[in-house]
Amino acid sequence: MSTVHAQAEAALPRGLLIAQAWSVLGDAVAPLSNASGRPLARTVKLILDPLVLRPVLNPGFAAAAVRIDHVDALRDRITAAGPVLAATAAWFLVLKKERRRAGITDGNPQDLYFQRCYELATEHGDPGPDRAEVAAGVLAEVHGQDGPTVAQLRDFVADPGHAGELSRLLDAAWADPPQARPTPAAVQPADFLATCPDPDPDLFDALVADLAGTAGAVELDRPGTAMDHGLTDRVQPARPALGDTAAKQSLPKPFDRSIVERLFAALSSASRTELGAVPGLVRREITRSARPWQLGEEPGRVVMVLGREAIAGLDGAPASPGAAARLRSRWEREAYVHRVLRMPSAAPQEVRADVYGVRKAYLRRLWVRLHGRELRRDTVSADGLWDLLDGVLRSVILDQRDRLRSALERQSSEGSP
Amino acid sequence: MSTRVERGASEIVVGEWPAHPEHTAVLEARGALLAWDVLVDSGPAARIHDLALAAEWLWEVYGPEAAAGILGGATEVEPSADDWVGRVAAYLSWAEAWWPASAVAGVPALDPAVLSAERAVALAEVEHVLDDPDAVARALSSLSSLSSSESADPAVLALMVTVAELAEDYGVVLPEAVAPRQSQFALAAGIGARGDGVIVLSGSNAVDWALVPAGVVDAGALAEWTVARRQGGTFLDVAVVPAPGLSTWPRLSARLGQFDVPLDGTDDLGRFVGSASVPPTVLLLPPARRVLTVYAPDFADPLVSSDPDTPARRAAIIAHAQARVGAATSTLTERLAGSR
Repeated sequence: MSTVHAQAEAALPRGLLIAQAWSVLGDAVAPLSNASGRPLARTVKLILDPLVLRPVLNPGFAAAAVRIDHVDALRDRITAAGPVLAATAAWFLVLKKERRRAGITDGNPQDLYFQRCYELATEHGDPGPDRAEVAAGVLAEVHGQDGPTVAQLRDFVADPGHAGELSRLLDAAWADPPQARPTPAAVQPADFLATCPDPDPDLFDALVADLAGTAGAVELDRPGTAMDHGLTDRVQPARPALGDTAAKQSLPKPFDRSIVERLFAALSSASRTELGAVPGLVRREITRSARPWQLGEEPGRVVMVLGREAIAGLDGAPASPGAAARLRSRWEREAYVHRVLRMPSAAPQEVRADVYGVRKAYLRRLWVRLHGRELRRDTVSADGLWDLLDGVLRSVILDQRDRLRSALERQSSEGSP
Repeated sequence: MSTRVERGASEIVVGEWPAHPEHTAVLEARGALLAWDVLVDSGPAARIHDLALAAEWLWEVYGPEAAAGILGGATEVEPSADDWVGRVAAYLSWAEAWWPASAVAGVPALDPAVLSAERAVALAEVEHVLDDPDAVARALSSLSSLSSSESADPAVLALMVTVAELAEDYGVVLPEAVAPRQSQFALAAGIGARGDGVIVLSGSNAVDWALVPAGVVDAGALAEWTVARRQGGTFLDVAVVPAPGLSTWPRLSARLGQFDVPLDGTDDLGRFVGSASVPPTVLLLPPARRVLTVYAPDFADPLVSSDPDTPARRAAIIAHAQARVGAATSTLTERLAGSR
């Protein structure tokens, strides 16, 4: 906050500068704009920030307030990118048209195509006569005709030639789980959490080097603890089954999922091209299932420990400053918004948003996100970590609202005489 | 008009925070909660919990100068914007929750399909300031479909075209489910008509809006109750007028003193009615406790409101809604209310 204060005198809001520079580009970029003429949120997040403004290379553009001496440079960068942004917009229209023609309804087109469109614009300029072909090629790539599929996964585990070997692998992994070493604990998770929302990368690296995530998983083997974390319905985590099938709607708790169920979501998403081949995926998942937190890499385990620590301050004594206090503030805001939106205060028991239930849902969702990132080999780092910790609570809260609404509607229709 | 800026340890409060949930519109923005009183319409107050995030868009709410003041430590600023970002989206969220549809007071029901569509479009316009990065997709996923008579209105048609384009941009497949409608009423009518007998006590009380879901009970009507002696027993009979355009049918109950009556029937007038045998001790209730509280058991606990200003506040909201239905500056949702 202090940096914002200090710069406010001789600085302009970044949002204002971007809006002004963007409006000069006119109708050519309308497909990347919203109805009020602003760049779409994802235009900023996926195109302007990483590809045009690049705050990592231009630290002057990074803060919410841009100093006067950087203002012209920022405007110039957007103006200079005008032609390529116009071509990006044109390619987006072409891809949307082709998507409609191909009957694709999977995923958010902005998330999936924006950066591809920018690449196309850089490489080809405006769409040419071969636009349809090019677009079809991109769609084929994005929608993962190349990646591994759920069918391949089912065939692989069902093949009698593999089933025995895979079961033995599972037994072996679970018979001899790696032992955690006692840790020197030079850095405490709380030290790192206190630095949020601008997390200190050195502290994170220190936690990873200390194996703080592995150390924090030891207690999960105590009866009832993993259950209290919302990660299993069993008293103690047990060796998962290999499994043969999965349904998106009724997945068990994370540690109770079979190997097939663990891979299912990633294989049925639009980003499965980023996954490796099925046999390797299955074998790695088997190994992963027996590791601390049932995750394969230490950074993810550290994040589980951090999430647990941060969410513990949701009620009771005042939360420590940083991540815990901010999560708590989000939770308290929700109680207020809940009343203003006339949400039920005496909710049906199964969806009642009590604090304990939120903690479990939080850790469960955090695990699912970290596991998904491991599968996509998208390693967690300090950068973006606060957004992850905060975003998981937001997503848990919004889902609870949706569940309350639909429970209300369900009861209404059941209540009809 | 100058606006106060209070700086606390964990948040900055800009302006007067509205006091009562039932006339508060909120927008969950990145780094701040915006809210204003829909009856006053004097511009939004903000509770800023992350100044760095809010800095990106505060100027759109308060104007660049006032935003710079808020960021720079001022204790008072002069907002310049007449209109502010997110006003319509937040207003429609208010209307969804608290619109006082009432046949008694002449406030027509809002069409939930038009409302949810208009709200999704309004959210898309301000997506860049919203806390939830998936707010637009979420709003699009919960749309209900329009009846054919509504779709005949050109303004609604235009709205639907916009919604369809948005849905395509966000990769949302629009649902086709049709909400249940008024027709259920006719079928249910005639059950549980109130008995007669000798009326010993009677009264009527307003329904606390916070205890029932939106759009269920007529916001302007009083719930009527009687205690009657018949067939050698004592009965508490209750009748409540449903909201016009009622489409959902939640479990309702009423409580007088410690006695509960489920409102599980409908009378010839289409009212929710219920009757329960109660011990004669009901007659011993002191007058102050002879207050009927209508509530939806799955929605709220039947707490008796002790705020003496509540009736005046409700009347003000109803007056506000009456004025909005025909007004040119209203949302499409409000202008269309009662037109079908």
